[in-house]
Amino acid sequence: MTLTILALFVTGIWVMILAAAAFLVIFVAPLETYLYLFGSHGGRLTISAVQSAIAILIVIVLALGLNRLKVIYLHKKLQQ
Amino acid sequence: MLDSVNLVIYGAAVSAISFFGVLFMTPAAIRSLTAKRKVVPDAHKPEKPQVPRPAGPVIMISIAAAEIVLFFLTMNIAVFAILLTTAIAFLVGYIDDSRMMPGWFKPVALLAAAIPLVVLDIYSVGEVHGESLNLIFGRAHIPLLYIPLIFVIIPITGNTINSIDVLNGVASGFLIIATIPLLASIAIFGSREVFLAALPILFATIAFYRYHKFPSRIFPGDSGTLLLGAMYGAVAIAGSSEIIGVIALLPAVMNSFLFLASVKRIVEHREVKARPTILTDDFKLAASNDSTAPATLVRLIVVDRPLGEREIGYQIFKLATFTALLAFASIAIQYIVVLR
Repeated sequence: MTLTILALFVTGIWVMILAAAAFLVIFVAPLETYLYLFGSHGGRLTISAVQSAIAILIVIVLALGLNRLKVIYLHKKLQQ
Repeated sequence: MLDSVNLVIYGAAVSAISFFGVLFMTPAAIRSLTAKRKVVPDAHKPEKPQVPRPAGPVIMISIAAAEIVLFFLTMNIAVFAILLTTAIAFLVGYIDDSRMMPGWFKPVALLAAAIPLVVLDIYSVGEVHGESLNLIFGRAHIPLLYIPLIFVIIPITGNTINSIDVLNGVASGFLIIATIPLLASIAIFGSREVFLAALPILFATIAFYRYHKFPSRIFPGDSGTLLLGAMYGAVAIAGSSEIIGVIALLPAVMNSFLFLASVKRIVEHREVKARPTILTDDFKLAASNDSTAPATLVRLIVVDRPLGEREIGYQIFKLATFTALLAFASIAIQYIVVLR
């Protein structure tokens, strides 16, 4: 039973990683193109810095989400 | 690029060197370490038998021999970068094996292991890893992110394998399972040379598992786990398989994350006073009820009922197999989305 729940836990993390990867590929990687379409032109370095900041933010959100999952799971289990 | 015949010949050569190197040198290392009293107690067994440590030098010699042969056969700079990264991680671990270092030492010192990947890539103009990150659904060209990311990946993979080395055979058995999807990913999305450079992780670890499995006859030590973990990270980076590598490593990553999120600082496990598990009278591990004890993968596994050391190892291997399947599913998604 514990292993099944851990497998679900890992699957949840996997889905979060795939969602973050898809978001980065669809919205963050082509940022230069989007800016061009909206008539704005950022320097190569500026765009890369913005992309990096968004990617780091996503990783932080992932870590917070994982921490929340851990708190819920562990406290529920240890209180049984 | 290597042709298929050379791929098979070189692959057989590096696999055989790393496998037989560890297989034949480890018994001598066990005798030598025991004679020099370089032993540690196996804490989860009755009477706490003394087990020799570390096996890192044997693993390093075998892997280095395979990588040096491969480098002279291919003259590929990525192979050389992987070898240097592995060697630096081994040295960091060997220092930690030899003298008690503080908790920050390993993650900070492992930053040095990432330097060859970055410097040799600049020297060879992108022959080691390039500047884009393989994100399964496509590649992201973010140079400002990718270089710092290399300095994050190597310490993480090194310490992750190090932190899962808690029970007999777990680190080596887990790494065998995690390396299989990584190799598949490198074969599909990476280069043939990096695929060949990654083979020694699998074959050296298979040979080492023979001596490390329950009941262990030798422990890898920090030198063994750090070199294997850092090498895993290096081949994932050089083989365009960073995310697949992380997915295959998820149970170990989760273990490190749970521990760090609990103690909220970088410390050695031995420095934490409240233990995550307790040893019962019949030598089984049970989850600690101490609310200040850190959360770890083993604590989660034994939270329902106490389990023996061997049984916990099998549970971790089952979870590792499941995440390896998730890694294969990710490879399939990438294959369909990007290559088709």
